[in-house]
Amino acid sequence: MAITRLPGAARRRVAVLPWLAAFAGLAAILPLAGVVAAALFGETADIALRDIFRYAATSAWLALLVGLATAFLGSLAAWLVVMHRFPGRDLFAWALALPLAVPAFALAYAYADLFDVAGPLRMWLRAGPGFDLPFGMRGLGGAVFVLSCAFYPYVYLAMRAAFLNQSVNVLEAAKMLGCDGWRALYHVALPMARPALAAGVALAVMETLADYGAVQFLSVQTLTTGVVRAWSVYGSTVSAARFALPLLAVAALLLWIERRGRKGRTHEAGNARWRAVQVKPLAGARGLAATGFCLLLLVAGLLLPVGWLLVTGLNTSPDWPRLLLAASHSLGLGIAGALVTVALATMLALGTRRLPMAARIASLGYATPGAVMAIGLLASAGIVWNLLPGSGYVIGIMLLVYAYAARLMAAALEPIDAGLTRVTPSMLHAARMLGRTETGGALAVELPVARGAMFTAGLIVFIDVLKELPATLILRPFNFDTLAVSANNYALDERLEQAGAPSILIILLALPAVIWLTRKIALSRPGS
Amino acid sequence: MSSATLAARGVSRFYAGRHAVAEASLDLRAGRIACLLGPSGCGKSTLLRLIAGLEPVDAGEISIGGVLMSAPGVVTPPEARGVGLVFQDFALFPHLSVADNIGFGLKTLPAEQRRERVAALLARFHLEALAGAWPHTLSGGEQQRVAIARALVRAPSVLLLDEPFSGLDGQLRAAVRTSALTDLRAAGAAVLIVTHDPQEALLMADDLVLMSAGRILQTGRPQDCYLRPVSLAAARLLGEAEDLPARIENGVAHTAFGAVPAPGMADGAGRVMVRPEALGFDPSGAPVEIVDIAFGGSFHSVTLSSQGVIMTARTVAPPPPVGTRTGVSLDPMRTAVYQGE
Repeated sequence: MAITRLPGAARRRVAVLPWLAAFAGLAAILPLAGVVAAALFGETADIALRDIFRYAATSAWLALLVGLATAFLGSLAAWLVVMHRFPGRDLFAWALALPLAVPAFALAYAYADLFDVAGPLRMWLRAGPGFDLPFGMRGLGGAVFVLSCAFYPYVYLAMRAAFLNQSVNVLEAAKMLGCDGWRALYHVALPMARPALAAGVALAVMETLADYGAVQFLSVQTLTTGVVRAWSVYGSTVSAARFALPLLAVAALLLWIERRGRKGRTHEAGNARWRAVQVKPLAGARGLAATGFCLLLLVAGLLLPVGWLLVTGLNTSPDWPRLLLAASHSLGLGIAGALVTVALATMLALGTRRLPMAARIASLGYATPGAVMAIGLLASAGIVWNLLPGSGYVIGIMLLVYAYAARLMAAALEPIDAGLTRVTPSMLHAARMLGRTETGGALAVELPVARGAMFTAGLIVFIDVLKELPATLILRPFNFDTLAVSANNYALDERLEQAGAPSILIILLALPAVIWLTRKIALSRPGS
Repeated sequence: MSSATLAARGVSRFYAGRHAVAEASLDLRAGRIACLLGPSGCGKSTLLRLIAGLEPVDAGEISIGGVLMSAPGVVTPPEARGVGLVFQDFALFPHLSVADNIGFGLKTLPAEQRRERVAALLARFHLEALAGAWPHTLSGGEQQRVAIARALVRAPSVLLLDEPFSGLDGQLRAAVRTSALTDLRAAGAAVLIVTHDPQEALLMADDLVLMSAGRILQTGRPQDCYLRPVSLAAARLLGEAEDLPARIENGVAHTAFGAVPAPGMADGAGRVMVRPEALGFDPSGAPVEIVDIAFGGSFHSVTLSSQGVIMTARTVAPPPPVGTRTGVSLDPMRTAVYQGE
């Protein structure tokens, strides 16, 4: 049979998706490269190596203790809520994640004030029962307490998902072999959930290392406060970058731990046939103890500090015009950050099949503290400022949004990736068999399927941007205040009652998003 | 016979130095259904993907309607081939309704024509009532009808189906198969169905293609492939087959269970492929002893021993009890003789 050879039959098409993913990955890594470059090739720094070690040691202790505390609190709460029935359990199931709406610095303000030597609680204790608490909140111990209250939800959510994913078959097998509830937790459920535990604790530790507002207020000197201080007090990008360098290394390490955790998770869920766990009722004192524990977490992480901020805030009338302006800035940045970040993360997600490296690079950004990200951008932004003098305000805002995007791209990527698992490779092939190009198929199939996940990702970014402090402090244009910045300014001036209002506003803005997310998580079950 | 709609010549595909498909050649003709049969992992799905253009060929040529589509260094992208593909998991788009799934391939058509075309396919596949339904609410059989309708929407000259019935169970499978067959023939395309189920392949195929370990063993009518397999490997792809040692003398192959004609074959050693239903009880035939009987529902599986050789046969009538010595003969129609050890 004669075969006609058509020279044009095999047009080469440019593969757009991998290029977009490469672009997004590059955007995430650029500020980190800036940090390394500044630290290694910068001029002399004013910071003694000794100081860096001292700050690093504090950071390490803080990370270790918060890691242990969140691991315990988050795991226990998840185990109680998933496997047992007790009064209030259905409410706690999602309410225990609500402290995610509260910025850590707001908790720090409230607790520092409550437990101050001249604060209401200790005044009352001295006057009434006649004794004084032997501790305050300012110091390492206080910081561990505050950050554990703020960050236990990361572990709680990860462990909750892991316990829900565990098949009851395995737990029943354990019971048939003579394990009671607690021994089943220790010998079966916990080891199976270990990857999720590692991932959750890694997130909590990342946030701990990245925190500036809370530890700074509680007078704890960490590497992150060092970064901000080197920049703000000494005006030295190079010194700041040197503080940032160990943080960057730890970020990479934590990322590695978190990735390993994730790998284990898939294998554990796919193993056995999944059946919903049977809930064990906890009656009487044990039920009350479970309720008490969950309530205590919720009180410590949300109700007490937020209540106290409200109470103190009521005594003063806030500077409404300034507050509303700051709120509009926060809201605007949150929305812009969410849009840009989700757009970049979507590029990553769509191209990641062809370019898995890009996603890995982007996740390094997530492990990097915002302050480090900002310093990295600052190091390279000088060039832009010199090229476009007089455009400081616009460039400042753009850099800020860029910093958020570079840091949060991986956080947004995760739900989008998960959403895209609904698109099987054969669906993409089907789109091609039906006349679409590779890019066209991605737009017609993957994008609409991931729409819900993109919204979820946007909310996650929105919440994080609202709470973000150090990067905003460093990169914001002159006199441009967000709610977080204005809360921090009041707190630095020891005007705590004034700092309450912007903190509460952040919580009010973030709360609907957090509730939406946690309800969604609570409703999701494997296989549905 | 009309000339082939699709012609593959000496197509090969290598993965890490090992061939997944080796020098495969086949023709597909308009209005005819070809079945590609082989065990899982034999390369039949890869061959399908090569034809679809989802993978490049490392050697050989594939042309459709006389136009070269694949050759080393030449890959016409799948969207430009005029080939329809029905996936094993159906791959329906979860975010689109049944009607929108079917209309997905008509992006360039004006809305009015698009609606008409979709409506026509919905009617032909009895899916009108489900036009607005979401894919996950459909039964397996319904999903399959949508998948086939969707693959036909661009009127492809070649339609490929990858294990289209494997996701359906038992009774449904037979019913769906019959109705799908009617629809596929009506479509007028050259159809290639990949399957690992010999029954399915025999029942559906106009042309059968047997594949094993990346190579095409035999191509032909189902009867010819079943009754005159080119080799024992080909025979076994289509069902049980006994392999008996034989001695060929004067155009007759002698086995422990009787003789069959072997016209034109040289004297010497040989092998005889015997389908289990080829054996009949015949008191004047070769002497055998019945050593085991199992009841298989529509048949009895009878294990026989003769001159130290064991074989299993199938009979519809109840056989004599175990231990009986009797005679058997072979139906030459259901045996094939091969020369050599």
